Amino acid sequence: MRIIDAKGKACPMPVIMAKQAISEGETAFTILVDNTTAVGNLQRLAGNQGFDAAVTEGEGVYSLAFVKNGDAPAPAAEDAAPAACGAGYSVFVGRDIIGSGDRELGTNLMRMFFYTLAQSDDLPRSILFMNAGVKLPTEDEQVIEHLKALVEKGVEVQVCGTCLNFYGLSDKLAVGTVSNMYDIVSQMQAAAKVITV
Amino acid sequence: MDYGVITFVSSSGAIQAQKVLKGQVPFQIMPVLREISKGCGISVRFQPGDLEQVRSLLAGSGLPPEEYAFYGVTGNGSHLEAAPLP
Repeated sequence: MRIIDAKGKACPMPVIMAKQAISEGETAFTILVDNTTAVGNLQRLAGNQGFDAAVTEGEGVYSLAFVKNGDAPAPAAEDAAPAACGAGYSVFVGRDIIGSGDRELGTNLMRMFFYTLAQSDDLPRSILFMNAGVKLPTEDEQVIEHLKALVEKGVEVQVCGTCLNFYGLSDKLAVGTVSNMYDIVSQMQAAAKVITV
Repeated sequence: MDYGVITFVSSSGAIQAQKVLKGQVPFQIMPVLREISKGCGISVRFQPGDLEQVRSLLAGSGLPPEEYAFYGVTGNGSHLEAAPLP
């Protein structure tokens, strides 16, 4: 059985190497990687390409045994691959307006930002609200509506609980989940890039 | 038409109009569609059934008529058409 050595390869190489093997018609192969991000990306790839991928670990090396399982590849598998590999992007919102300057203009820009994001095809994996940013998923009806549409499309919305508490908004969260620094930092680390608004 | 939009010559006009419409008709603000690309970057999106009410609210607001324009939008994504409303 073919063994693909992807140890030491940065994302997205392990996924590209696995996809290459699949496209060459391999139905059973093993790929070796040395980090858990690559393991997660490869498992997602396996899932949407109709493969099982059992993981074994030894001395910091993860071995994934790809075996075709008869499931049809997901129709959107091609599209899903870059997201699975690059781990997408996160949006960090640390304030309730965009930019500094006029508040009203900044509020308008923020609403239009989320309108545009919700209409876009390239969605973030997560949107993270902190400090005055938490006023948006609690008090801004227009932004709340856009966020609900994004959540429905699978975007994770995490809102800093400490900040909700500070602003007395804990019982007003209209969309998303109450989160904490650990989960928010994890989301940032898992994303290929973080866009700060 | 799937929804209506109002475009504005100036951002301050767009902000003023929102104050007029707030609590009267449901609306959202959105960036001006590329298909229209006229005026300032802020536009107001409303439901087609509210057109007449939106018109009369703005007409009675003191906002000069040359400050704003109405469009009807049909479709979504990359397949949409925006036509000026008389």
